[in-house]
Amino acid sequence: MITHEEILNIANLAKLSVSDEELDELTKDMSEIIGFADTINAASADASDFDNINNLSNVFREDTVVPSYDREEILKNAESQNDGYFLVRKRV
Amino acid sequence: MESQIKKLSGLMQSRQISCQELTQNYLDAMERDNKKINAYVNPTAELAMEAAKAVDKKIASGEELSPLAGIPMTLKDNISTKGIETTCCSNILKGYYPIYNATVWEILQQQNAVLLGKTNMDEFAMGSSCETSCFGGALNPHDLSHVAGGSSGGVASAVGGNLAVYGLGSDTGGSIRQPASFCGLVGLKPTYGAVSRYGLIAYASSFDQIGPITATVEDAALVYDAISRYDEKDSTCRGNTGKPASESLNNSIKGKKIGIAKEYFDGIRDDVNDAIQNAIKVYESLGAQIVYFDMPSLKYSLPVYYILACAEASSNLGRYDGIRYGYRTPHYSDRNEMICKTRSEGFGKEVKRRILLGTYVLSAGYYDAYYKKAQNLRGTLVKAFQDAFQKCDVILAPTVPMTAFPLNFTAQDAVETYQTDICTVPVNIAGLPAVSIPCGFDGTGLPIGMQLIGNSFSEPTILNMAHQYESAAGNSVFPRADMGVKL
Amino acid sequence: MSNYELVCGLETHIELSTKTKIFCSCTTEFGGDPNTHCCPVCIGLPGTLPKLNKKVVEYAIMAGLATNCEISPISKMDRKNYVYPDLPKAYQISQYDMPLCKNGYVELSNGRKVRILRIHIEEDAGKLVHQRGSTYVDYNRGGVPLIEIVTEPDIRSIDEAREYLEKLQLIMRFIGISDCKMQEGSLRCDVNISVRPQGTEAFGTRTEIKNMNSFTHMAKAMEYEVNRQIDLVQSGEKVVQETRRYNEEDDCTESMRGKEDAHDYRYFREPDLVTIQVSDEMVARLREKLPEPPHQKQERYMAEYGIPEADAQQLIKYRSISEYFETAIDGVQNPKVVANCMIGQIFSRLEGDSAKESFQVNVTPENLNALVKLLDEGKIKMNLLKATLEKMLDTGKAPKELISEADMGGVDTDALKAACEQAIASNPNAVSDYLSGKEKALKAILGAVMKATRGRADAVEAEKLLITLIQK
Repeated sequence: MITHEEILNIANLAKLSVSDEELDELTKDMSEIIGFADTINAASADASDFDNINNLSNVFREDTVVPSYDREEILKNAESQNDGYFLVRKRV
Repeated sequence: MESQIKKLSGLMQSRQISCQELTQNYLDAMERDNKKINAYVNPTAELAMEAAKAVDKKIASGEELSPLAGIPMTLKDNISTKGIETTCCSNILKGYYPIYNATVWEILQQQNAVLLGKTNMDEFAMGSSCETSCFGGALNPHDLSHVAGGSSGGVASAVGGNLAVYGLGSDTGGSIRQPASFCGLVGLKPTYGAVSRYGLIAYASSFDQIGPITATVEDAALVYDAISRYDEKDSTCRGNTGKPASESLNNSIKGKKIGIAKEYFDGIRDDVNDAIQNAIKVYESLGAQIVYFDMPSLKYSLPVYYILACAEASSNLGRYDGIRYGYRTPHYSDRNEMICKTRSEGFGKEVKRRILLGTYVLSAGYYDAYYKKAQNLRGTLVKAFQDAFQKCDVILAPTVPMTAFPLNFTAQDAVETYQTDICTVPVNIAGLPAVSIPCGFDGTGLPIGMQLIGNSFSEPTILNMAHQYESAAGNSVFPRADMGVKL
Repeated sequence: MSNYELVCGLETHIELSTKTKIFCSCTTEFGGDPNTHCCPVCIGLPGTLPKLNKKVVEYAIMAGLATNCEISPISKMDRKNYVYPDLPKAYQISQYDMPLCKNGYVELSNGRKVRILRIHIEEDAGKLVHQRGSTYVDYNRGGVPLIEIVTEPDIRSIDEAREYLEKLQLIMRFIGISDCKMQEGSLRCDVNISVRPQGTEAFGTRTEIKNMNSFTHMAKAMEYEVNRQIDLVQSGEKVVQETRRYNEEDDCTESMRGKEDAHDYRYFREPDLVTIQVSDEMVARLREKLPEPPHQKQERYMAEYGIPEADAQQLIKYRSISEYFETAIDGVQNPKVVANCMIGQIFSRLEGDSAKESFQVNVTPENLNALVKLLDEGKIKMNLLKATLEKMLDTGKAPKELISEADMGGVDTDALKAACEQAIASNPNAVSDYLSGKEKALKAILGAVMKATRGRADAVEAEKLLITLIQK
């Protein structure tokens, strides 16, 4: 069972706000989903270590400069910008 | 089944139809029929006509073109397209115009593809019905009271509804194969690392793979051959270093060994089972050998998949904070509240559930019991498949235990919905290729799909096997929807 | 303090001086207008993927070799997850449980070793500018490669902490992997510190002081923190394990704990990057590239060339200086002369540390070498050498362009005698002044001799001769 407190703790880590009204339903949903995840407990762990999915190693890039993007492009999708910076205003 | 791509390419090359005429046909059909199925969320008519015009010029000048040149197609809305809005069908990305192209789109543009528009999907590819899309779900062109499937539901709906010749989707736990199966199409999930993920908006990085949804196996092979290239931008991508898949489609499959793992058939619907048993008979008649074995570790694949995929998703989706792109909440009192509210308002319910699950399984105190254990079982599953491919060339299994869901079926219970991914997730866990092809219909006429699973980079083998079945079974298993462009 | 002992470990972040960022090809140049050194990868646009810069791995291995570390044959990258506006992906790509280097040490002058637990590679974050409550974000620094060097809690005094950090700075500059400028933030340090009664073994509760950006601040912050902790312990209170920052204005440390940062970084393997395998060949190749360590160089300068310790320290302070020195002494009989030329005349033309670091001077080490060899061959005297070096510094010309063949012959005894007699004859006043006891007057006569011989004469010899002649 997962508690309200745990839900709020995870939500804080994930930067999601949970309203009081949502909390009950979410706790119920998450308990169910975590219960489902718990089914792996039945499996015996045979320590077959998993590396990365395609067993590649040493994929590198050479240290050569490529011109950066125009700042206009970089800032293009931002909700708010000022003086070439991304901007988060104090309060709105 | 005749390759649609080859057929249309031939018509254009022999000047029986211009690319502009062909494209206009599709755009007209979209205008008429897209509202029925909600496949496209962002049609790009103007750009399509521009691209078509360029293709006609090249044909006129006698330039040698790839078979994909001038073919009208679509991209799932999680594939980045420079200057074309890319939303992942999430409110949090509405109004986001990428400033760079996904590698697959870069390749297809070089091959003169004609993009008709971006298609619908479950929000951030999280779902199996397309109904978590912020634009509402895409419908099944064979029965509008059923879903197209998910998450690449829009691509399947568009191709199945004859509103695109082919499309690229992404498959993290079945998101190409399941909607292909629901819509009576071919869906190929390539080997992890065969196709570049650069520009694919990540759901779960070690599972995601881009692949085609097409009407025929040969079309899937042609598209796969085009996009399975090494990409220096994706460290995990090596491309297909072997022969093109389209060259071996007609090889004899006599003596090929088809493996049947009984766990894949646990709890599947009878009509689905019957269709697959019939397909097995077709394969036997083609000279293939059937071998039966157990893969007991398969039963853990669902929780393993959800734990690992959600863990990666919780990290991949942390960046949507309203600062650099996408939605930002209009009201907040400080920066932290801005970020939390932006995310809570911008993400839908299912996405938030998966972020929370992923955060939970990685958090202090739970990491070992969930994430680490699941990672360990991933190793076990990889090994189980390696062992299986000692015994057979391909594994044959249902794609989904049932046919397309009625609308709103998945909204009710998250876990119950997750269970329907039981047959598709194992190959994503093991990074293997699999192709879903139609193999019959249920009592109401909805398509049934089966999948052929191969060893790493054995796309030529599974597509050869699929093509041979397709040729033998013929039109009887391949449905045509009564809408869109009639070829 | 005297009853208590300080226990300290340092976590040092060093920005590597690669040309490009760790995961994309944007420049790492310091400064620049905000958000002009950026691309889709380093601002974390959806769908972008990192690609590891090979130089970063090589530099980190070199740092490990220079600090006596073992190099891990297999390592990987991990994600450290936390949401903060300066971190565009909401995770920092770093190394968690398999760092590139581990188990090294740096030896201090008192013979104690500060053990290095690990060295790992990671990406830097962007920069936030806070103005009237609003946040301005610049990602130019985002993705600049860092190594983090973590020591064991082996440091026992503020002086040791300072010496360790200075030594680390010197080593990293010498192997050429970082400029280690604290003021520009390319060397930053977190101090883990605790106190315990002298003679006890168990560690006290530690605090971490974040982001020290100068040696002075580090020393002051440590001083304050040690006293604060001793006061707490002595008054029976408990030290709280927490992160603190140094407040320059009030010269104190203060707690940084806000209620929002309940940190749980949820590390897991970075799925977008592959395994890093370091072969023995690669390690051997990089080891070969490593220059002689600075402290070893200093000892060699002292022992082999007889250079005094203070001078030797100056010569090894920057790699550019020692390289210059080593080129300039090639084949020279007395390297001390070269050292004196550099520390005396050449250094006086350079203002500040950064000028010394870049060591851009008008005289090539080859030209200095040629000049000193003229002295070795007896072709010129010390005073002409000094005068010529000044001219070389002014003009950048080679010594042969400034000294004629005639000058190089020196002045034979007869000519010198003639010049001296001439000088005495034409300076009667100076001569009488000298004879009346004003010894300084001799300098004027000597000047006339040097002028007449255009500096070629041996001043010491000339002076002796003048005195003899005058007193005759």
